[in-house]
Amino acid sequence: MSWQELLLELTLMPLLAFVIGLAMVLMMRRIAAQIQRRVGPPLLQPIYDIVKLYSKQTQISHGFIHELGIMMAVGGYIAAEALLPVPGMDGLADKGGLITLIYFLMVPTLGMALGVGQCANPNGSIGISRALTAMLAYDIPFVIVVFGVAFHYQTTNLAEIAAIQQAHGVSGWGMMEMPLLALAALFALQGMMGKQPFEVYIAPAEIATGPMVEMSGKFMGGLFVMQSFQYYTAGVLYTILFLGGGENWLTFLPKIFAVVAIPMTIAMLFPRFRTEDLVRLMWKWPVMAGLLGLAFVMN
Amino acid sequence: MDKNLNVWLDNLLQEIEGIKFRRKSTRRVRIDVAMDALPTLLELLQGRASYVHLSAITCVDWPDDGEFELVYHVWSYETQSLVSAHTRIPRDPGVYLSIYDLYEPAAFFERDIHEMFGVFFEGSPDMEKFILTEWDGPPPMRKEFDSEAFVNQQFEWQPYHPDWLKELEEEGGGVTTRPEDIRW
Amino acid sequence: MKDIKKIEIIQRPPPPEPARRTNPLARVFDELVRFCQSRSMFMLHYCTGCGAIELPPAMTSRFDMERLGIQPMVTPRQADILLVTGYVSVKTLKRIILTYEQMPSPKYVIGICSCTVNGGMYWQSYATAKVLKDYIPVDVYIAGCMPRPEAVISGLRALMEDIRTGRGDAWKKYYQNYDFYLGNQQRLFGEKWQTPTDVIAEAHHYGMMTDQTLGEHTDLLEQNEVPLDALRTRLKARTE
Repeated sequence: MSWQELLLELTLMPLLAFVIGLAMVLMMRRIAAQIQRRVGPPLLQPIYDIVKLYSKQTQISHGFIHELGIMMAVGGYIAAEALLPVPGMDGLADKGGLITLIYFLMVPTLGMALGVGQCANPNGSIGISRALTAMLAYDIPFVIVVFGVAFHYQTTNLAEIAAIQQAHGVSGWGMMEMPLLALAALFALQGMMGKQPFEVYIAPAEIATGPMVEMSGKFMGGLFVMQSFQYYTAGVLYTILFLGGGENWLTFLPKIFAVVAIPMTIAMLFPRFRTEDLVRLMWKWPVMAGLLGLAFVMN
Repeated sequence: MDKNLNVWLDNLLQEIEGIKFRRKSTRRVRIDVAMDALPTLLELLQGRASYVHLSAITCVDWPDDGEFELVYHVWSYETQSLVSAHTRIPRDPGVYLSIYDLYEPAAFFERDIHEMFGVFFEGSPDMEKFILTEWDGPPPMRKEFDSEAFVNQQFEWQPYHPDWLKELEEEGGGVTTRPEDIRW
Repeated sequence: MKDIKKIEIIQRPPPPEPARRTNPLARVFDELVRFCQSRSMFMLHYCTGCGAIELPPAMTSRFDMERLGIQPMVTPRQADILLVTGYVSVKTLKRIILTYEQMPSPKYVIGICSCTVNGGMYWQSYATAKVLKDYIPVDVYIAGCMPRPEAVISGLRALMEDIRTGRGDAWKKYYQNYDFYLGNQQRLFGEKWQTPTDVIAEAHHYGMMTDQTLGEHTDLLEQNEVPLDALRTRLKARTE
């Protein structure tokens, strides 16, 4: 692959991710509305929101670290998109691999923590400490899942993992070969996307959206952009690990949208867990399912 | 400890001279008592007849008599009845004893009455501003406080025929009922 | 700490001239921005009186407000519109002003219920402020006691139309006539009244200083200004 092609892919992949992520945000809000028997927002609502937030006249910045934190939050995901192979484009997938991706996925939360720290709002501090605890909770089952998948396919290259699954048809999908790991990953996904019952760090009514409490204008816009990247990353990663990746866009898109729709449908049925209950639940059931799945994979 | 206690209590209270006792129903008793005897009565009710719940303290202003009427509502969970102890204190200087040592919740009611009526309770833990934190006028619930005059002096009013209303009136809307029509 | 009164009041330079728009696409861009602003309004989850009871029906399945891009937000930093729903007691008014000044502009205020127009049924109450627009600029009034959700939504549609056509700029009045608003606030809250937000500096930053911005009331504010400390927390240990 020449460097021109690589550059093109590295530009196209985050752009595509952004557009698809916006559609996912819209889908999320439409699903929530449908479950509550509402109509929901119009088609371009995510774009309206982001344009409006960036066009605010007052942009309250709390300092350099505040701005850097948002940059890290968005940038971490943009870097992660280059490692996620999509149909026709592999990007840096064969060079980075699964382990690098996990590192990149932690950058946004840490960036948020930095930015919120400088805002010096007590609600924000409470929120981000809860978010970091939640990250600790869902990363354990997630790492077990990643280890199991990498062991099963004997590679950490996401493009190869997808190719192996596609070679065996539907019965070769990770979901069929490692059902327990797929279940554990679904749990971790719910926590990673911050949906109920694992959204105690947002908690609008009690700590006023936690980490976002001091974010306004373009900072909030940055977080909206980050959210769309986040949904896309979660959907694509799960699809590659367990649903056979994408042979072409026609099969790939329904898969990633379905993956993202599952947490949302579950979310509307639950209130939220407290942080300690979240940790207890995450370290019990998904970890047990993951370890059991790992045992099956290993023998 | 059943309904007998009510009967005994009625008999006892009727024997005491100087208080006016009236049982209004099976669950309500009204007692009129002099101001220096009220704390003792409450102590008797709380200590001996299990009237442990202070529901409220209310205050009524009687400017013609020059008196405040304080009403203490206490409830007993065992005899299932409410005693309303009425007492009258002189309006000037308007100082009375706190019953905080008997009933701790009294602190809030007394603070509230102090704010609204200006009655000072000696021995109450906190007599600072409670709800009307922005208020520095006279106690507003006294009868001589003219709320309407105060409002007219303190606040501006929205004019009843601003220019923008004329557009609405052309479309058939606008003010239909004026304040002088509904004054009583 | 130096004596506050001895510090010289900085003479601020005159407001900068608005830059000439040389970009031919500026007008199109402005229209796009205004359209997006009108179609995406985050309203602050802050309610004052009884009119708030009409907002849940307006938000939930019967009259879904999200169709219009209106969704509730919980902090003033994220919000665009402030709904004042019902009577405004003097104590509440203080909080409303604090909240309003923390919202990032462009910001809009909607006065719901008759009480915000003229005191409503609390017109002779000593504790309620009567005319909301004397204290903060109001974009849209929705009268009624209380207005039905249809009326609320029609008022919001009117505000959307104002924003889209560029007429919804009541928030500029707060900077341009700050002396007037501050004077009314001082009349209720006393001479020592000050907020954490430096409105005069903001007005200067946005280039909205007029001769109405500064006046006798702002002079009084600068005289009585004290540096802000952290909020006083009072814990009274009970001694028994």
